[in-house]
Amino acid sequence: VSPRRALSIVALAALAAACIEPRLLRMPFVDREASARELTAFPDRKWPQYPRFLEGVRDRTHPGDTVALIVPATEWYGGYSEMYFRASYLLTGREVLPLMDPQNAPAPENFAAARYVAAFGVTLPPPAEVVWQGEGGTLYRR
Amino acid sequence: MTSTLVAILGLALLGVPITLAVDRRARGALLAGLSFLYGSGAIFLVLLALSAVNVRWTPAIVAAAALAVFAIATTIAMRQPVTGGRRRAARAHVIDLLTLAMLACYSLYATLAPLWEWDFWAIWGLKAKVFFERGGIDWRFLESRWNIFAHPDYPLLVPLNFDFVALAAGGWSDRGPGLLFVAWGAALLLVARALAARETSPLVAALLAFALTALSLSLDLGLAEGALIAFGGTGVLLVREALREDDPATWRHAALMLGFAANCKNEGMALIAAVTLALVAVSWSRERARARLPRLWPAYALAAPWLVLRIAHALPTDIVGGSVISRFMERLGDAPEIFAFLAARLHRPWFWGAIFAALLIVPAAARRRERFVLIATGIQIVVFVTAYFVTPYAVHWHVVTSWARLTGQVSVPIAFAVFLMLAGSSRGEEGAPRSDSS
Repeated sequence: VSPRRALSIVALAALAAACIEPRLLRMPFVDREASARELTAFPDRKWPQYPRFLEGVRDRTHPGDTVALIVPATEWYGGYSEMYFRASYLLTGREVLPLMDPQNAPAPENFAAARYVAAFGVTLPPPAEVVWQGEGGTLYRR
Repeated sequence: MTSTLVAILGLALLGVPITLAVDRRARGALLAGLSFLYGSGAIFLVLLALSAVNVRWTPAIVAAAALAVFAIATTIAMRQPVTGGRRRAARAHVIDLLTLAMLACYSLYATLAPLWEWDFWAIWGLKAKVFFERGGIDWRFLESRWNIFAHPDYPLLVPLNFDFVALAAGGWSDRGPGLLFVAWGAALLLVARALAARETSPLVAALLAFALTALSLSLDLGLAEGALIAFGGTGVLLVREALREDDPATWRHAALMLGFAANCKNEGMALIAAVTLALVAVSWSRERARARLPRLWPAYALAAPWLVLRIAHALPTDIVGGSVISRFMERLGDAPEIFAFLAARLHRPWFWGAIFAALLIVPAAARRRERFVLIATGIQIVVFVTAYFVTPYAVHWHVVTSWARLTGQVSVPIAFAVFLMLAGSSRGEEGAPRSDSS
């Protein structure tokens, strides 16, 4: 066997071994129920109540409604954007409007344009009309 | 789950006459793999067209449109002459059972839970869900400046495939699209297996398909990577095959697959350019380039509609926003640090190490034979790296969140080529091409 042939055989074996994905090989042995629970909760792990709150908002609003979002995070990259994106996904059909832009500049025009305000972890002063309260937040009508 | 299986079967059935309309000789693994990919691409075009003429998507309307496509493709396929020799379908090998076992493992992974990735619910799944509830593409959503986070400029093949699954199921489910990723990966493996069998033994072809499983089956569920790897990988492998055999039907398949890849992600768009440049590079003479390049027109034709719609609706692309040149010039000074970071964050470093080592080991003739795949892959990687020099985001953040996925997009064709080079070299072959491919 020439050195090149021997090296080729070793490299072929190394390439095949490098292609193996251990995560897939483990799949038949994982606890599927526990993994499913963990992965389902993964997107909302920081705010477990938040999806249930948004579900409540969805139930009480209609497609085409505009909903401004107030959450405890006061910076776009400090949590606000994540909660805004999540609300956009769970409230599809409604137009979800953030109250700040990525530079953290307030967007009062969105507050003015919104028919509803969904406030999670924050309480608005009266005279906002409360539509529903629960799951750590309140839905107001303007 | 059952409805997703029905949707996948429907896509594969829809793709059979399209595959045969392109090449009546297709059969076996190649026919099966290409059929699903054509079905997936065709349903994207059907939903896009219905949206363009303001027809609301309903299961009945989409089924009727798909049936019309099926009937037209069947008519064309039946009129196609069977030119050239009919190839025998690749013979199965016991090693193929291992590949099937890996696909089974991946199916378990893909159906483990509702899709959980950030990019699913913030980009690909979000758009699909918005469009599904509206019954068509929601241009107002894409045009809103508040939805720029969802990358409105990204092409829509993947979200519209999710929508087809939801239409088949009669409702949206975060779990629904999971099995689509299995189908995309399996389709690529079938094509790779069939192509490998044409130039090597059943044992090596089966081993190669098994080695490609982890590269073909994207772990990034809910993102466009799974589809892009399938369409892009198939496209590059078919161009390689077309260069080997200079077969017009293979050129058509290759160009169409690249066109669908361009409708998966912007990197698919870049892949068409990379393939074009690589073809120029391996064609040497102007006559050869003139003969080959026009064969890619279907790729450009398929990429065009989304580019036109994107411009018409003024959908911005974040990476080229602001002053690209000034960002590039600024970051040139940080080049050593950026390259060091890319090296440190390289996904599957053992895989890339094995690829580089193999390229040094194999005979020069074998490298020459595979220069199309090597050059196309190299150009695409240069494009990826250049993007990090012009990104408007923090470079480290951008690398951390995308580098592994990007390198994964180009790993199947190069692994395929290098594996075959090594298999030939380990048998003592010098890698001479079986037909003139330069």
